[in-house]
Parts: sequence; C-alpha cells; structure tokens
Amino acid sequence: MTHALDNFLFTYQSLIYALGINSLLALSMYVVLAIGQLSLGQAAFMGLGAYASALLTAKFAIPFPLALIAAAAVPALLAFVIGAPTLRLSGVYLAIATIGVGEVLRIFYLNWDYAGGALGLNGIPEEAGFVWIFGVLAVALAGFAAIARSRIGRAMEAIRADEAAAGVMGVNLPVYKLAALVVSAAVAGVAGAFNAHVSSFIGPNEYGFDAAVTILSFALLGGIGSPFGPVLGALVLTALPEVLRPLHDYRLVINGLIIVCVVIFLPGGLLPWRLSRIGAPR
Amino acid sequence: MIDRRRLNLLAVACLGAFAFATGARAADPVTIGAVEILTGPNNKYGVAIKNGFDLALGEVNKAGGVLGAPLAIAYEDSAGNKDQAINAVRALIGAKNAPLILGPTLSNEMFAAGPIANQRKIPIVGTSTTAVGITAIGPYVFRTSLPEADVVPVTLRTARDRLGVKKVAVMYANDDAFSKSGYDVMKAALEKLGIETLTTETFGTRDTDFSAQMTKVKSVNPDAIVVSALVEPAAGILLAKKALGIPASVRVIGGNGLNSPKIGEIAGDAADGVIVGSPWFIGKADPVNQKFVAAYREKYNSDPDQFAAQAYDTLFIVADAIKAAGAADPEKIKDALGKVKHTGVLGPFSFTPDRDPADTSGVVVIEMKDGKFGLLQ
Repeated sequence: MTHALDNFLFTYQSLIYALGINSLLALSMYVVLAIGQLSLGQAAFMGLGAYASALLTAKFAIPFPLALIAAAAVPALLAFVIGAPTLRLSGVYLAIATIGVGEVLRIFYLNWDYAGGALGLNGIPEEAGFVWIFGVLAVALAGFAAIARSRIGRAMEAIRADEAAAGVMGVNLPVYKLAALVVSAAVAGVAGAFNAHVSSFIGPNEYGFDAAVTILSFALLGGIGSPFGPVLGALVLTALPEVLRPLHDYRLVINGLIIVCVVIFLPGGLLPWRLSRIGAPR
Repeated sequence: MIDRRRLNLLAVACLGAFAFATGARAADPVTIGAVEILTGPNNKYGVAIKNGFDLALGEVNKAGGVLGAPLAIAYEDSAGNKDQAINAVRALIGAKNAPLILGPTLSNEMFAAGPIANQRKIPIVGTSTTAVGITAIGPYVFRTSLPEADVVPVTLRTARDRLGVKKVAVMYANDDAFSKSGYDVMKAALEKLGIETLTTETFGTRDTDFSAQMTKVKSVNPDAIVVSALVEPAAGILLAKKALGIPASVRVIGGNGLNSPKIGEIAGDAADGVIVGSPWFIGKADPVNQKFVAAYREKYNSDPDQFAAQAYDTLFIVADAIKAAGAADPEKIKDALGKVKHTGVLGPFSFTPDRDPADTSGVVVIEMKDGKFGLLQ
C-alpha cells in the first residue's frame, strides 16, 4: 500500500507542485485585475523572482527562506520603480508596457552569461516542497479573502467598476494601483522562486509572453469576483493536460474544447460570485 | 428495457476487460518507456524518432524479442515542454514501472527530466540530445547521439584541409540553448584548428531579416561562414547571403541544425554548397544502412533522417542491454548498457565510461547540391 502511494506521489509530484505554484500566479494576476488593470508582466515578475532566488541558492548557498524573501523583494522593487510612470496608463496600454518590461528582462537574461545566458541556469537545489508551496498558498489565499471582504476590497471593487467615480468618492487611486502592482509582483516572485526550486533548471524563454498569457487565462477562466476563482482556474488549467493524458493524440484537442466551452457558457468564469463584506447584511 | 440495456453494456464491458486481461497475459511484453515530442511545432523530430524506434522494434520482436517475451514501448508526449517531459518521465516510472526510458527529444527537456530518472535510479537514454553536459546529470543518464563537440571539429578540420578555409565569419542565434551551445563548440574548435575568426554576428532564432549581419560579414571578406542555428533562421541566412551577392565559393559551414533536408526545401539553390558534419548519411553504402533505408521507405513512404537512424540503432542497443542483463531490472540494464557493442547504421557503437558514444569514425562530412545532401567531393 505504501509502495503504491509512493509510486502515485512520485508520478504526480511535479503536477502537485505545479498546481500550487500556478495558483499563486493566478492570485498575483487577481490582485491587478481586481482593480480593473490589465498587466501582462506577471511572467516577468515571476522570472525575476526565479532568477533572484536561484542565483542566491545555487551560486552563494544562501538558505532558501532568505532567498524566498529576496524573490519577493526584487520584483516588488521593480514594480515600485516602474509603477509610477506606467500606472498613468490604463487598459490595453498598461498591458503593452508590461509586455515590454517582460521582453527587456528576457533579453537581459539571454545576454547575462553569469546566469547561464541562453543555456539557462542549471543545478538549482530542490528546496521547495509540498509544505512550503501550499503553506504560502494557504496564507496568501486567506489574506486575499480577508482583504476582499474588508473596506479595502470594497474600494478595489469600486475602482474596477468606475475609476472616476471611485476617485471622487475619496478612494486614493494612485496608492491603490501602486500597492496592487507591488503586491502582485511580490506574489509572482515567490511563485517564481518555488518554480525554480522544484525543477532544478530555469531558462530565459520560460518567462516570456506565452507564460504571461497563460497566467492571465488562469484568472479569466476562474472568474475574478473573488480570490477563489483564479485559484480554481489555475487548478483546472494545470490539471487538464495531465488528466487527459490517456487520450494521447486527442489530448490537446479536448483540452482546447473544454476551455472554449467554459468561455462560451460561463463568460464570468467558473466562480463569478463575489465575497460578501464582513458584517454586511446578506 | 433500460435494465436490459445496462446489463448488455455491463456484459460487453466485462468481455472487453477479460479479452484485454488475457491478451496482456498471453503476450506479457517487456515494456520500456519513451518520451518524445509527438505534438506541437517541433513534432517532426519526435515523429521521426518514433518511426525509427517502431521499425527497429518490429525487427527485434521478429527475431524473438527479449528475455523470451516481446519488447514493447509505451510512448508519452512531451510537446517540447520541459514540465510535460518531467510529468511524462514520472508517469512512465511511477505508474508503468518502465525499467528504462528513451528520450526526451530536446537537450532542455533532458536537463529537466534526466535528474528525475537518475534520482529514481532508472536508466534514461537520449537519442537526439547533443548539448554539452547531458551525461554529467548522473550515472543513469546515457546518450547515443554524438554531441556537437564530437561532430563540429571533424567538419571544420575537413573544411580547412580540403577547401583551404583559413579565415571565417561566425554567426549564431544567441537566444536559444541549442544554437548557443553549438557556437561554444565552434569557437573552441576554430581556435584549436588555428582558423582565424574575422567577426562574430548574432541574431534571434525568430528573426527573418539578416541583411545587416550579412553586410558586415561581406565587408570582412571571409573564406567561409560558420553558422550555428536551427533550420528556419539558417535558411534565412543562406537567402540573405545570395541576395547580397556573396560568391558561392564562400561556403556556409553549419552545425547540426543545418543537417536537415528542409534547408534545401526552404532556401532552394541558395543552399547549394552548405557543408555539415553528420553522424549518419542516407547515402552510406554499407548493407546495414541500405537495408534500413529501404525498410523505412517501405513502411513510412518517406526518407529517414538522422533522428530516425539514431533511434533505430538505439533500440537495438537497448534490446541488447536488456538481453545481457537477463532481467527487466533497471540496475542490471544500466550496467549492461555500458558494455554493449553494436554495429548499426551509424557505424560501430559503444559507450564511453562517461556514457557518451565512444566512436566518432561514423561521422561523415556532407554538402548540399541541387537540394540534396551528398558526400563532400
């Protein structure tokens, strides 16, 4: 019995890790979408966290928890610096600017020979495990759920519904926007650190435009009414290709078909409902 | 009515399960795993490899299989994605109990999936992974493909000795691991052979316009242009070279990426004169190779490429190792692999103590002429 369980865990270990990591990424996307902004820089922040932490553990033998803090701090700092000019943009223009950030970082890694250049970074210690990933995910999920039910959550929803009206009502728009971007960058960075420390290899092309769109699709498939929607979206989109593996050649076809069906029949996402505010009448 | 229908269904299902179970028991094959790119943009490599395996598998089983049972291959698709390659290797080891894994297709996938098999002490044999450092992953990681570090020096030495190449321009794609690793090998080989590098130009794998780099190359007037790139950008370089009027006597010398008939299909007569080194060549005259090419054409109605040839040989090597091991036991197979000696379509083969191919005598230098590769005259 333990042997069978051992085999099962061995078979699905990477998938289980990916479920947790992608859920964190979906949450980081949720924070930005929740105030009505569209950022496609999540993959770039993730990559920054991955590279920062992997360089620290692989080259300097820094303990993993410290590297994890760096993985949150470095992308957060970048988000803070680029936030001031880019948050004057909105909608598709912000998306384009954040794509630009991602591309700049990708070219930077490609030409940075110390970090492996195009060959990528090898031999990263496998420090992140089940407890780390799902512990952080649980804390983040609980935190975001609490925020969504609080005054801050209401303000974020007001910004999403009508930015001008929210501003007139006294919501401090620049502070909220910058804070959302910084928090989302930190969460994505932590997810990147986990990603690097479960697969022992990272390369510059893993954090490009494709990854950014995948992360966006997690949030949109799940629905952005509450933090639980994006997490559900990430779980579904991550598990589907592996669950459908027995279908062999038809697997990607069915995978795509399921996603199309969800988009057509559930345009608000799998979980479109929002959380009610603490103490508010039901 | 509904009950009866349900009953019928149940009966059919039981029958099916019974037939499946007895079928499986009668055959009871030795099943090894294979992870290749069977879908997505790079699936031409994986499909050629699968064809090579399947062709050899038929011959092994016709000759009595291994350990008194037929040999079988359980294929998993990696779609060229390192995470899927990891999941596929885990599934083959954990759920299917494969005593040996063939693949994955790309070096990047091997860097991610190889450590998993190595950690679980399951031998994993790459048939198309040419990058530096593959077998350094661990003692259970083998490869049957000659690394670029073995092929490129032969190509460059031949170009120097036969064509009098003394000074070259080097071009490579700096955003892709395969091209960059090929460039590192070229740079070392050029220095060792005393060939002067006049300029080094870089580009991106998805670039389509190479006129800026080519103008620079033209201005330094090299004897030849050395290129490390995948097929598509390499074809673009050849077209730019022709468009800028660089004479045909200035040859393009390529790494493994240019070793594909596709280069002639895309670049047309601009590809004439391209020189590459190859571990295998379709026109090799020995009877083993002729038989392989004929059998492949008959089964798949197309010409085999080097990936199919490498896969074909690898399956015989693996089958020999399983026979020598005497059991489908990963540890014994790993030990037996190190001792296998096989002469196949690639020429004589054995593993070095570091689990790389030991023999480079099979390397041939070929050139493109009228859209087809032939031996360098």
